[in-house]
Amino acid sequence: MLTFMRNKVVGIERRDEDTLQAYGVLEDDIYAVELDVSIGLSDMVIRSIEGRFKRWTTPECPKAIPVLQQAVGFCALEEGFSQKVHKSIGRKGCRHFANLLVECCATAEQAANLIRGGKPKKIPAESKSSGGRTQKKAERHSEKSLGKKTEAHAEDRGGVLIDLHVHTYPASPCSVARVEDVILEAKRIGLDGVCLTDHNYIWDKARVDELRRKHDFLILRGNEITTDQGDMLVFGLERPIQGIIKLDELRILVSEAEGFIIAAHPFRGFLLFGSGQLGLTPEKAMERPLFKKVEGVEVLNSKVTEKENRFAAEVAKGTGLAGTGGSDAHQVSDVGLYATRFFSKIRNEKELIDALRGGRYEAVAFKKQTDML
Amino acid sequence: MPHVLFFSRNRSTSVEHIDESSVKACCRLQDSLMDAFVEILVKLPDLELAEVRPEVYRSDRAILPDAIESLRKAIGIRIGPGLVKIMKGLVGDRENLGELLNMLDECCQGVILSFTKDALAKAPEDRRKAKEYYAQLVKENVRLYDSCIAFAPDSPLVEGIKPPVT
Repeated sequence: MLTFMRNKVVGIERRDEDTLQAYGVLEDDIYAVELDVSIGLSDMVIRSIEGRFKRWTTPECPKAIPVLQQAVGFCALEEGFSQKVHKSIGRKGCRHFANLLVECCATAEQAANLIRGGKPKKIPAESKSSGGRTQKKAERHSEKSLGKKTEAHAEDRGGVLIDLHVHTYPASPCSVARVEDVILEAKRIGLDGVCLTDHNYIWDKARVDELRRKHDFLILRGNEITTDQGDMLVFGLERPIQGIIKLDELRILVSEAEGFIIAAHPFRGFLLFGSGQLGLTPEKAMERPLFKKVEGVEVLNSKVTEKENRFAAEVAKGTGLAGTGGSDAHQVSDVGLYATRFFSKIRNEKELIDALRGGRYEAVAFKKQTDML
Repeated sequence: MPHVLFFSRNRSTSVEHIDESSVKACCRLQDSLMDAFVEILVKLPDLELAEVRPEVYRSDRAILPDAIESLRKAIGIRIGPGLVKIMKGLVGDRENLGELLNMLDECCQGVILSFTKDALAKAPEDRRKAKEYYAQLVKENVRLYDSCIAFAPDSPLVEGIKPPVT
């Protein structure tokens, strides 16, 4: 017996010389929504939208209808159009409306191509800023002053506290936290250091050294890399990785670089159901091949539920892998929610990797109240 | 102009829970230019893609056999956050593959929604109790907060709930 079904129907009418009118219906087991979308043929810009709910779940859902107007003026040919719709109409309104709007526009685009004789209209992609995605030769810098300071803190608090998972803007486009603000916040709340782990981005070492000296604060470099087996926090890998890489290949690169690899938020799940409903137990999860390829597991991450963190901790314990903590900060106020307490000196990236290998550390809820530890 | 359709599209996605450890989902797309089918087999509890079977019956767009085959590179990945990014990264984002990738994504979304439906079906009829039910869901999952208008910061469903990040 079917447990779920979704039907989407879109019809495109050529209303006049320069107007395509899309009528779309999405009906599934959960929602039924309709859209009337008027789109310019020459520019593929959305001129008007009308939406209707036929069935919905929460009493708040109908408030999503006015939100649809935010998409008026969007160009269906624009790079990232689908993400833009999901971000504005989906997150601020209703995901089902967003899904149907993308479908209506994609169908209209096909119709428009036919009208133009099969030639897709292209809008030149905006030139992408390289944003400093470069790899530079490592330079040695003195860390004497920083070392003394970190050691003093470590003695006071029984270890060196480092937020091992932080994203900054613009290195991570999903973040809104600028690196200078992250550092100031980390210092303000009493962390001993932060590790910049932007998505597929390698910070220039000279720039990080400059920030270290300027703020007299421990700033380390890492990288969050998306693999076929999920996101990985990688330390010590200077080679830039773009796109998706297989975990097996990443493992080889990290080993060659004598780096360290940690499974980031390995059990980040879904919005309305958890791994429990799927029948996933820690014992079954431990059998996943990925846990034979990583050297650590992130067991405290602020973007997952406490249940998911507890699950990761159980799996880490069962597999004998060390557990780390990091905020996964995407805004300044996230910094330090979770961190890792190291029981050895950390003054530079080499010492960080040595410490990670040594296993003398623990994940801590530094700023966040939690019943986990 | 007469109100005659110039272009039409039907997309149907269905999900079947075959047994305790397998879920099958398929997506059929028929429009004025294309007729295609993608079927996936998903293994529980990891939600791992165990099989991907694409078929193109009719297409005005050039879809090369190797493009269809490349969709099978998605086998082995787990359905979860970032799925589209991972699929595009592994399978490629070639123009002639785009629609098949969309269909694969629809299948995966269908699997997720088949489980989501169970959680929503448990919501009580009574308005006050329903509010409490949804509020509890938000408390249990930080990512639900501000994920759509129902759980936006000014929504009564999250009234009194501290934002996940302070």
